[in-house]
Order: sequence, then C-alpha cells, then structure tokens
Amino acid sequence: MSLVTSLIMRQMRIPIIILITGYAISILGMVITPGIDNQGNPWHMSFFDAFYFVSYTATTIGFGEIPYTLTNAQRTWALITIYLTVVAWFYSLGKIVSLVQDPMFREALKESQFSQQLARIPDKFIIICGFGETGHALAKALTERNIHTVVIEENERLIQTLPLEDFPLVIPGFKGDARDPEKLIQAGLQNEKCAAIIAVTASDETNLKIAVTSKLLHPDICVICRSELEDYESNMFSFGTDFVINPFETFANIFAMAMHSPALHLLYDWLTGVPDTDLTNPIYIKEGHWVICGFGRFGNALYRQLLKSNIQVTIIDPSEEKRDTFLSRAENKHNDFIIGTGFDAHTLTMAGITQAIGLVSGTDNDTNNLSIIMTAREINPELFIVARHNKKANEKLFEATQANIIMQPSEIIARKIRTLLVAPLMIAFLNKARNQDPSWANITISRIMGALGESVPSIWTLHVNEKEARALCQVLRLGRVIRVGNLLQNPRKREKQLETVPLMLKRNQKLLLMPTSDIAIKSGDQILFCGTPSALRSMQWSQNDLHSLNYIMTYEDTPDAYIWRKFHQFLKRNERRNRPRQKRHLMK
Amino acid sequence: MNREKVVFSFFMILALTLNFGFFAGEVDNPNHHNVYELFAVIIVNLIATVLKFGDRSQMGAMLLATSLVALVQLFSASIVWAYVVNIQGNVMTADTMSTIISLSGGAMIANFISVILLIIETSMMRH
Repeated sequence: MSLVTSLIMRQMRIPIIILITGYAISILGMVITPGIDNQGNPWHMSFFDAFYFVSYTATTIGFGEIPYTLTNAQRTWALITIYLTVVAWFYSLGKIVSLVQDPMFREALKESQFSQQLARIPDKFIIICGFGETGHALAKALTERNIHTVVIEENERLIQTLPLEDFPLVIPGFKGDARDPEKLIQAGLQNEKCAAIIAVTASDETNLKIAVTSKLLHPDICVICRSELEDYESNMFSFGTDFVINPFETFANIFAMAMHSPALHLLYDWLTGVPDTDLTNPIYIKEGHWVICGFGRFGNALYRQLLKSNIQVTIIDPSEEKRDTFLSRAENKHNDFIIGTGFDAHTLTMAGITQAIGLVSGTDNDTNNLSIIMTAREINPELFIVARHNKKANEKLFEATQANIIMQPSEIIARKIRTLLVAPLMIAFLNKARNQDPSWANITISRIMGALGESVPSIWTLHVNEKEARALCQVLRLGRVIRVGNLLQNPRKREKQLETVPLMLKRNQKLLLMPTSDIAIKSGDQILFCGTPSALRSMQWSQNDLHSLNYIMTYEDTPDAYIWRKFHQFLKRNERRNRPRQKRHLMK
Repeated sequence: MNREKVVFSFFMILALTLNFGFFAGEVDNPNHHNVYELFAVIIVNLIATVLKFGDRSQMGAMLLATSLVALVQLFSASIVWAYVVNIQGNVMTADTMSTIISLSGGAMIANFISVILLIIETSMMRH
C-alpha cells in the first residue's frame, strides 16, 4: 500500500466508524420501534425495510414513510435518525475535505506522484539539481534530444512551473534541498537508470555537497558540477567529480580562442549553439590596449588570457588589497592597476580609455556594468566591449548596449554541459580543431555553411553498433563496403545529398577530422555529424532500415514482404531470360 | 498499553463471540438463530475492519484480509436472508436457514483466524 492511500485510510477510520455506528443505531431503533400496518395490525420493520428507510433519510433523499405510514413512536425515532446520520455524514465529508487540504497529505501526494513519474521513465535519466536559468536551459536542450531528466529544486514556485512549460518529455520535479542526501535518493540518485547528475545550483557549497553525495552513493554515474570559486573547484576534482565547469574560466578560454582565431571561435559558436537559432557572425578583436573594470573572478580569468597574449592591460577596481597583490607579482609589471569603480569618466580616462581598443565591464553588479559601458562608449565609441551579464532580468538592457560580447554565466555553463552530454565527441573535435592551421577553420566553416544554410546545426553521433544502427551492422557483417558518402545520400532520393557534414570519425581511440566520403565504415566506429534535424531523421532511416540502406547501396528498390519478394524475383528471372544476351550489361 | 490495540482486540473478539452466538444451534431451525445477532455481528465486524485501515505492517494487512473475508461471508448471509424474506416474500424455511448459517460459519472461521493472529502478535510483543 502506498503512503498516500494508507494516509487516507488512517484518517478515514474515525469518520467511517462514526457513520457505521450512526447507521447501526438508527436501523436497530427502526426495527425495534413498534408500528401499525394499513389494516391496523401491530407491525415491525424488517432489517431490510429499516436499512432502506435509514439510507434514504441519511442521505437527505427522503422518499417518505414507506411501506406504511409511521406511528408517532416511529416518527420520534425517525427524528433521532435524521439528526444522527445527517450529522455523521457532514462530519465525514468535512474530514475528507480537510484531509485533502492538509499540507502533509499534499506533500505525500506530490512525492508519490513524483515516484510514479520516475518509475515511468523507460531508460536512462539525468538529475538536474537547481532549476535556475542554467537548469532550465539544460532541461530544455536534453529533453529535445530525447534524454529524460529529473529536476530537484528548493524553490516550490519553480517546480510548479514545470508542468506548465512545453517540454517534449515529462520532467518529474522534486521539491527539496539537494544538500540533503535523503532527498537526492528520493529524487532517484540510487536508481539504476540514473546516468548522470548535474549540480548547477547558485551556491558552490551546495554543488560540492551534491558531488560528494553522488560519488559516495552512486560512484558509477557521471557528476558534472558548476563552480565559480577555485577552492571548491579543486575540492570537487579531488574526489573524482567528472567535470567541473567554471563559467569564468570557460568564457576566458573562448575569448582567447576568439582573439587568436575568429574562424575557430565561429566554428565553436555554431557547433555548440542551440540548434535552429540564427547563425552568429564572426567576431574580430584588434590588438591593442585593454581596460578591465572589476578584478573579480571574471576580470582575473580574462586578464590571465590577455597576459598570455602579451597585451597591455589597465585594471580598474576599488579594492586596495587586490592592487597590492597585483603589483607585487613580477609578471604584472607592464600593466597598471587603478583604484576606482570605473563608471565615472575620470577613472576611465585615467586608465587610457581614449586610446584603448577594448573594455571589459566585469563587476558582479549589472547596473555598474551597464553604467561603465555607457560612460566608456561616450568617451570612445570605437571600443570593443565585453560585458558581464549576471541577472537574466537585465537581458534586454544588455542587448540594448550592443556590447560586442555579452557573457552570461548560466548560458556559458548550459552550453558546455549540453555539449558534454549530447555530443561528447564534440569536445574532442574542438580540441583537435585548435591544433589545425588557421585556414582549416575557414574551409570547414564554408563547408558547413554550404551544406546547411542559415541556422545553427544539430549535432549527433552515429554509433555503428547493433543497438543504434541495426541495418548498417547487418550489411557490414555480410562483408559489404559502406562508405561515409553512402550515409550522406538521401534514403528517399539517393541522387540528393542530405544536409549534413561529417565532422569527425573515431575508431579505436583514433580521431580523424572531417572524414572524406570514400572512407569505409567499420563496426564500432563513432561518427560525429552536424546537420539539419530532417537530415538526422533521414539518416536514422538508412541506419536502421534495411530497405532504405539497400536502396542507397544497390540502386534498387527491393520489396520487403515475402510475397512481393517472390514476385519480384520471378519478374527479374523472366526479364533476364527474355533479354538479348549482348545487351545485358547495358541495361543496368 | 496501546489504546489502539485494546480497541481493536475488543471489536475483533466481540465479532467472534457474537458470530458464535448466531452460529450456535441447530443448523436448519430458524428459532435457534436471532436476526438481531446477525445484525450485531455485521456491525461489529465492519468496525473491526475499518480499524485496520491504513495499517502498513504485515500483520495489519493479514488482519484486514481476514476481516474482509468475514465481511463477505456475512454480507452474503444477510443478502440471502433479505432476498428470500423481503424480495420473494416467503417465510423462512429450514433450507434457507441452513444456507445462512453455513455462510456465517465461514465468517466465524475467518474471525477465529483473526483472533489467533491477534494472539500471535501479542505474544510476539512480549519477547
């Protein structure tokens, strides 16, 4: 018996017993009380009559005095019956209503609903801790790729919005503090279907606790954590957290990529973006003097990247302490540190904003950041501006500033985790791409644009195994050769190419960038593709449907069903027999 | 002393004793079996069943099951009675009476098992 039913039953004991007793007293009384039938003979109600009478009286239906007119003695008892049973009914109904409104009962109801939804998930699922902006973006991206997710969040209001939103899959939401191991277990941490846990709450401490709990209670699963402070980051790594994502470091790396190779950055942006949004334009960053306002975690991460490229930087920050530590380091001797806030023209001019080519407004206060951008733009309209955007609510304001790069921590993290989970090969691809010469990225970009057009492509990985590519494996086992180019053909019309580009082939730990069409596929290969969603669907046909694959491979439309197959063979035999011998090779 | 247990035991044993009272006597003699007693058995048994609602222990589930069995038997007995006397309008015959009594005999066995389970549970608590 589930907790909810047993709670209801337990609460209903007293009301039901009161009802039973009320009925029993009334029925017994009606049977005992003497009456007179229509001939004037003494008469007693049978239990059957009495039960009938009490039933319609208690429920206030009131059929009247059946079967004979009641005597005054019977009427007296009927009065008692009415007050007794009607009150008993009201009491019971009131009890049910108050039970339904009881907060404890509602909690139990929600928990049982959640565990039912959890049990209904057919395959692997991922737990997302924290349903803020990052959690929301991740839930959306994962469910769109048919990956089940479960959300645990402390804020009840965020959980309540879950069913209202239009996610492609049902996302069970659990209200609870993720720091509590008990709650994590209830949310499905120890469930064997749980494949990964993502800790993206706002607090590093909570994320750390989640990572520890997960690694202890279910060591096999992949643990991905958000962390903004270095101490926590190294702590998380120390016990084997699989991925720790620091939004500031991640952004600084991307920024460095944009600085060194705009084409590579563009490629990164396209391949990790949200599918079906518009393609972004390349960003060109000129060499020259940079001003960083705010020397916190964000400013620091960017500064280190700029320092690596030997770029002259002036830092503006109100903290004296930070200035002292900054100036005491030998590597910082070429750069300047000015005490100030940055949103007044005086400080900015002192920092050399008039000659600078770039400005980073990287404080943790959105209003200050906006103010810095506006002031700086007024002094030097040509500035390249990197803005740190903290709160989702200010999105419109940051868009209006037309800063060249807007860094939003939740978006950065969501993008990274999405890539990690949806296309793990993509990370390897991007790492390998970094080592290619600059023209390589340009060629790849033009290839992708040529094949796909204007919107951000979907990314998928083809695993050549029995489960995901049944037909492909079957044909490979027969010893036939299938090339990468074959997969790019449209299974509806093989002369046409699918709108997709193979990005990388992984075979026995070896990675091959941009595999060409003539490479033969082997069982166990993994191929990373980017393309339109419709190309993905078409490709799944040729992977799993023998008929489609045959059509692509043999230029023949072979029937599937037994009778059609026999008929087809018969036709072919006849055709061959009637065909003039010398022309046979031409007919093909 | 657990008040819930006392109340439940009271109703359970009362159900058995009343059931026995109704059952005792010649099987086919309507004069030996009182309709009021049948009514009382049903009411007491109903209450005993409801008292076990929402008990999540193994023993609680068993007791609920035996009480439900007794109830089914007793309801059948009373339906037979009502059908013959009130719907068909016949007088109570030896035939009908023996049917009713054998049904209530079944209910008595179920009630008897309940009481035994109750005793087992109580004796286990001592240890």
